[in-house]
Parts: sequence; structure tokens; C-alpha cells
Amino acid sequence: MRYETVIGLEVHVELATKSKIFCSCNAKYGAGPNEHVCPACCGMPGMLPVVNKRVVDYGMKAGMMLNCHINRTTTFDKKSYYYPDLPCAYQTTQWFAPVAVNGTVEIETSKGKKSVRIKQIHMEEDAGKLVHDIAEDTTHVDFNRTSVPLIEIVSQPDLSSAEEVEAYLERLKMLLRYAKVAECAMEHGTMRCDVNLSVRPEGSDKLGVRTEMKNMNSIEAIKHAIEYETARHIDAIENGTEVLVQETRRWDDIKGKSFAMRNKETAGDYRYFPDPNVMPVVIDDAWFDSIQASLPELPEEKFARYTEELGLSEYDATQLIKSIALCECFEAAYAVCGNAKDAANWMISEIMSILNKRQMTYDMLSINGTALGELIKLVMDGKVGRANGKKILAAMFEDTTIEPVAYAEANGYVMSNDTGLVEKVVKEVIAAEEKAVADYKGGKEKALMSIFGRCMKELKGNCDPQTLRTILTDTLNKM
Amino acid sequence: MERDTLRILEMLNQLSLTDTQKEDFLAFCASREQELEVLNAVDTSDVERMVHVMPILTVVREDVASQPFSREDLQRGAPETDEGYWCVPRVVE
Repeated sequence: MRYETVIGLEVHVELATKSKIFCSCNAKYGAGPNEHVCPACCGMPGMLPVVNKRVVDYGMKAGMMLNCHINRTTTFDKKSYYYPDLPCAYQTTQWFAPVAVNGTVEIETSKGKKSVRIKQIHMEEDAGKLVHDIAEDTTHVDFNRTSVPLIEIVSQPDLSSAEEVEAYLERLKMLLRYAKVAECAMEHGTMRCDVNLSVRPEGSDKLGVRTEMKNMNSIEAIKHAIEYETARHIDAIENGTEVLVQETRRWDDIKGKSFAMRNKETAGDYRYFPDPNVMPVVIDDAWFDSIQASLPELPEEKFARYTEELGLSEYDATQLIKSIALCECFEAAYAVCGNAKDAANWMISEIMSILNKRQMTYDMLSINGTALGELIKLVMDGKVGRANGKKILAAMFEDTTIEPVAYAEANGYVMSNDTGLVEKVVKEVIAAEEKAVADYKGGKEKALMSIFGRCMKELKGNCDPQTLRTILTDTLNKM
Repeated sequence: MERDTLRILEMLNQLSLTDTQKEDFLAFCASREQELEVLNAVDTSDVERMVHVMPILTVVREDVASQPFSREDLQRGAPETDEGYWCVPRVVE
């Protein structure tokens, strides 16, 4: 019998706000234990939550990016569970009226295009961090992460393979980064994924027993886990190797296996009820319209504009739209230098290459696009050689405040118009390169490149190549 | 309310009820369930959901970070702390 895998994802994304969702504590990662806490987020009695407006802004924006309906009255609810990482013994989340519902995300895989339905996006607070390896008999609790704002994006069970899951997660990351609502870096834990999976005979409309793997934080691990779980379910169904039960499982990427953690909770176990401490949030027309007006140009729209209006090749446009940071840098550089093809070449051949070599993501690009445009213009205008332009770019990666024009002048990278100097250097090099000169005179054209290279080196690259070539060949031919 | 549900609630709430307390609670729930059945019989399909008993909305604040409390102040009443952490009985094996 042939089987199909049915997968739904719950993706938690940490929002890129400065402060927490219900208090003004710093939401930034990296402080010492419990340095970013206050009576509200560490659960002191009597403290009341106050909603961070930007969290609602970002929740709405994420919803609009995923084609959701925005609930104009959205409410918060309490989800009860006892664990030391949750100081109130409940999580404030959204159950009855989440900020966004009924969306879609379009993905493309080797099997073609597919629309994945989004059930809902809700806003909620993160839990704290537990550390178990400091002492044998105690667990250490750090509430810095408590109340850091999250959105949870819940898909319908529309995915059916590891490839589709990867495409879906990559698309989510791209859209949320374009909207600048989240970093979405799984390696930093700012994007985490729960995978709900079941298996059923191909063509059946009845869902099988569902298991959930929680807190997956790498796409590779998710792919391995889906392949393992699918095989385990099929083995259980066909060979009776075990009885499948609805449960939460933990994926161990080193062992390449999943392990049962606990029976799957149902909504009733969490005893959701409206949070009486947070009043309903009503999104009026002005608020809604301001968020809608702030939506970015989508990757596909940029692709069309780059190819149709700016005349870039499909390859160049595809490379640039991989990241909003690349697009913004390119567009700012193009605005200054006025040559889209040159700007795209610098972005793809130089900047993306440097980022790859440094193992940085494209979104980590911090080069000022306007400054890049000035640099490209210097090279285009023949004021700085391409090789020296690359040196200036490398310096700009180290110090983003560098102004290319001033830097080129200060470091002697500006092309010399002094033909007297060029002639002097050419004569000196010809005198020093007797063998190469003899080879050239003997008919070996390649020897000219060697002499040319030595001249350019002596001139520190600050000479128009055509000028140098003319003076060099004239001088050699007169000998 | 079934006995199994009550057992789960006991576990979730970390309670240990006596048999008498369990019987009393089950009887109480049965009575409430009868009242709920009366309410559920009313057709509310075209009634807009009430989100709060009072016609008031939340207050939102701007996204500005501040840190008005020190860790030392917050941990003053803690039974046990260590290097800035709160300490609790170990929760994993």
C-alpha cells in the first residue's frame, strides 16, 4: 500500500521589538541572568500587563503578508500550565480571537506550486529559560526571555513532504524578513517549529494518529525528523511494530531518532479563558490603514520591476530578491550610481561573495547602500580602479562609516592623470624586465601582460588601464 | 464531569482531594452542567460574541525599553538564588 504524510506546522517567531509584550523590559537577547526582568514578567502578584503597540502592529503586518483576515477586535487569553519557566503558571496568548486568521502561503517545490492554508496567527509571550546543568539538585531559572513577544503561525495540515516543509519555512522567513517584523533565525532560536505529522493511505480523507515534535530549530533537523517519523508511522501501521498514540515527541538529531515525551495535551487541558487583565484590542480604520500602507514590495513584485524596468537579467534579479537587505542596498546604490547592471554586479560578484566567505547571512549585510553607490560611481567614472574599488569595499565591511571618496583620496586610490609619471614607471619597468621585453619583441604577446601587470603594480593600480596600455605599447614599439 | 477528568484536573492543579471532596465537587459540577444545558439550548448563532463585560478597550504603550527594577530588588524575597538565577527543585531527571 502507498501512504501519504500529512503535516501541519506551528511556527513560533520572536518579534523584533525593543521591549517585551506586556512590560517595558528590554527584549534583547544576551544579558546576564534575570537582568531584563520586572515584577510583571517575573510573575509578582498584583502586576498588570500593558500591551506593547508594536507587537500588535507586527502581528497585523505578519497577517497581511500571509494574506490573512485581520480580526479588528482581538483578545488575549490565559493558557494554564505549571512549569518553572512560566512564573504566572499561565501563558498570556490568544485563543478565542487571534489577530489574524484564514491566510495562505504560496510555495514552490520540484512538484510545482502549492498553496498552504494558514489557520491563524496569534500573539503571545515567550516562556523563561531553565538551566539544568549548573547544580545537581536544583534547576536554575532565567526570566529574561519571559514575555518576549512571539507570534505563532499555525498552518492547516496541507504539507506532505520534507521538501514542502522546507519551502514553506523558507517562504515564511522571506516574507517576515521583508516585512521587518522578525529576524527569523532558527540558529538563534528566534524561529522555532512544532511539527504535527500523521500518515494515511494515499487518497484517504481520514487522518491517521498524529504525533507532534516540538521546538525544532533547524530545517535540516526538521527534514530528518519528518523522514524518520514517516517511516516509523508506516512501520507501525504495516508491521505492528508499535501502537501509535497521539503524543508529543522529542527529536534527537544526533541519534537520528524521536522519543516520546508525554501524551499530547488537548485544548481542554490548558483551560483557556479570557484574560481579565488585558482588555480587548480594537484595531480602528486608521490603525489598520497605517499598517497596510507600511507593507513592503513583495519579492515577486521586486523581481518584475528589476527585470522589466531596470533591465536586469532574471538571474541577477533572482539573486538580489533573496534578501530584503540585499534589495535595499542595491536600490540605494543604484539611486546614486544610476547604473542598475553595475550595481547588481557589485552586489552579486563582490558583496554576496564576501558575505558567503564570511559565513554571514545576506540579512546581516550592514554596508550603506548610498556609500556603495558612491564607490561604484568612482569606478564607473574611472577615478578608482576596480581592484582598488574592491579594497575600499573590504574596508567598508570593517567600518560602515567609511565614505568612499574621502577614503580613496586618503589612501592614494585615486587614479593618476599624470602621464609623465606613467611614462617614467613604464621606462623603469622596461629596464628591469629585460627578458619579458625580449620575449615580447620576439613575438610573444603574452609577455606584454607580464610587463603591464608590473607597471600597474608600481602605479598601485591608480592608472587608467587603457592609458597605461597605450603608453606601454608605444614605448615598446619605439624600441 | 467524569472521574477521569477530575483526576486530570487534580494532577494539573497539584491537588490531593479526599473522597468526600471529590463527591461534593462532582455533584456541584453536575448541577452546573444542567444549568449550562439550559443556556446551550438558546440559539445564539446570530449574536455577536461578547469580548468583555465592560465596553472598555485596552491601553497600549509605545515600544520603549526601560529597566526600572534591579535583579537584587526582585530576588530579595526568593527562597534560593544562585549567580543571578532563581533556584527551584530540579524538574528533569
